[in-house]
Amino acid sequence: MKLGRDGWAGLAVLIASLVLFGLTLGLKGNPMVPIGPGFYPRIVLGVTAVLAAWLVLSSVLARGRVAPLPAIGYGMVVAMFALFGLYAGALPFLGFRLATFAYVAAVNALLDPPRGARGWARAALVGFLTAVATYVVFERYLLVLLPRGSWTGF
Amino acid sequence: MFDLLGAGLANILQLKYLLPLAAGTLAGILGGALPGVTITMTIIVVLPFTFGLDPLQGLAAMTGVYVGGSAGGLVTAVLLGLPGTPSAIATTFDGHPMAKKGEPGRAIWIGIWASFVGGLLGGVFLIAATGPLARIALQFGPWEFFSLFILALSMVAGLVESSLVKGLIAGALGCVVTILGTDPVMGQERLGLGIPFLAGGIDFLPVLIGVFAFAQIMTELERGPGARHAASLGRVASLAVNKAKVLWEVVSRPVLVLWTSFIGVLIGVLPAIGGSAASMMAYDQAKKLSRHPERFGNGAPEGLIASESSNNANVGGSLVTIMAFGIPGDAVTAVMLGALTIHGIQSGPLFISQNATLAYGMFAAYLVAHPIMVALMWVGSRWMLRVTTVPKAVLFPVVLVLCAVGAYALNNTMANVYVLLTFGVLGYAMVKFGFPLSPFILGVILGDQIEINLIRAIMTDGNPWLFLTRPISGVLLAASVGSVLLALWQHRRQQRRLAANADGDGDY
Repeated sequence: MKLGRDGWAGLAVLIASLVLFGLTLGLKGNPMVPIGPGFYPRIVLGVTAVLAAWLVLSSVLARGRVAPLPAIGYGMVVAMFALFGLYAGALPFLGFRLATFAYVAAVNALLDPPRGARGWARAALVGFLTAVATYVVFERYLLVLLPRGSWTGF
Repeated sequence: MFDLLGAGLANILQLKYLLPLAAGTLAGILGGALPGVTITMTIIVVLPFTFGLDPLQGLAAMTGVYVGGSAGGLVTAVLLGLPGTPSAIATTFDGHPMAKKGEPGRAIWIGIWASFVGGLLGGVFLIAATGPLARIALQFGPWEFFSLFILALSMVAGLVESSLVKGLIAGALGCVVTILGTDPVMGQERLGLGIPFLAGGIDFLPVLIGVFAFAQIMTELERGPGARHAASLGRVASLAVNKAKVLWEVVSRPVLVLWTSFIGVLIGVLPAIGGSAASMMAYDQAKKLSRHPERFGNGAPEGLIASESSNNANVGGSLVTIMAFGIPGDAVTAVMLGALTIHGIQSGPLFISQNATLAYGMFAAYLVAHPIMVALMWVGSRWMLRVTTVPKAVLFPVVLVLCAVGAYALNNTMANVYVLLTFGVLGYAMVKFGFPLSPFILGVILGDQIEINLIRAIMTDGNPWLFLTRPISGVLLAASVGSVLLALWQHRRQQRRLAANADGDGDY
């Protein structure tokens, strides 16, 4: 039995929905709503599981004929996600201004690798301008509070 | 109605509303002109700027983005042959050939005037239809709302071209997101999975922002980080043209404009089909109705008019469903729905009666956005192409920072930024595995409402057959089954055709 791309995706959804379905069985009822908080989730997860099983079955019947993922460069995509993950992780510690400066400069350098000091200065400038402009517009004019850093107090 | 509309127009013409409307329209035009940046991404970027504004200012800005974005896509479509937005794909078919024949100004202005006229026709429908449809929706009980939301989900899932089952799974997964955290009826904790930020449930806006922004940016990055689109900038001839003469070219084809705008409105009313389908269908219709179909694809003004009038009329149709039923017609109106929620306003059938000033202000903003769009295009179409020279290395990190700000500012918590990233990864994975995003988002938006109405219906009367025996509910459920069966039939027919073509090819 050979599973195609759709089959693996369906299998992942099937397992996740069955695990969550199992968890709904432990939910306690509520006297105000006797039908219970697990009623609707069980319907949704049941339907999801059936559909996922259908996808797995279709993939098996198609004998994995669905084309595999095209071989393109995922390195940049992974790096972009990793940098955003670092940014999200750093925001509460460094604060919005420092974290944004570092993040934008890093992404700029990743997407357009600097050649020499001028290139690095450009990346730093883009990071600096983005951090300052967004901070001024949101905090000063739109009164939207942005994260402060617990390490920097900034 | 006309009194309220007059008051709305007087309201929106005040500087404090006109300014965000104009800024939103400009942002929409620029976002629309940038290949790879959709209207959805533009409105996501604009969203955090609206948090500090009053509801009408925020909605005016977003309406401006929607109208401007629908028209902005035509500039690059005509001059470069690259559709700025998916809804401008059909514009390239005749707009670019016309520009290459030495008439770029005529092509641009046929598109602008067709957008203007189509958009205003969509506005007439929006104003005329929202109230009556909302009044019909007011007669609905929980059975009918449940069935209506199921119909919306099944239609969207069924319209997915690649695979019906994947569309249905995507919709179901969207509903799964809403069952995590808390039960919307009693607020009881459930399925928190021990993750702290799931305890209170998941806001749909960070999910929507994450799914769309990351999926699009990462897909663009796969094509290479350094691509720019302004290679033919230097080749652009003068855009000077007699604008009144071009306007006459458009309005002298009333049947074409009315019919293609009607198609746009109709597609807009149906959830999550979008402007690209509207413009393609309208283009197809224009070609079929034409006495000279052979001219299409070689710079026929009818093709350009059909595409642009339908994709702008589509905006009016999309706004109807959100204002009358609380169902977003597409991702852009889903963000607008989120903006309403942030300001504590519930969209749906009561929206227009409980928030008449806001509703008619929005109608007025929609109408006023069109002349603003024309004025901005008049002044700036020549420079619009320069926008496409913005490097991705600058654009993408700025967009992602604004996404993070938008998610964080929803309730000043980092949890939403983590949700943004989590669903960014999920959205990208869904795209790579061929799962459509529209049913997923609709599931996330409607999931809670489906549950609330289902529980309400059962608590009111335990008889489950009422979902089928109440006439409107029964018809809506039958229509959902019908839409799934129709999608199955279409999919089978397409597969048979492909198989037949493959056999035919093999004979040669």
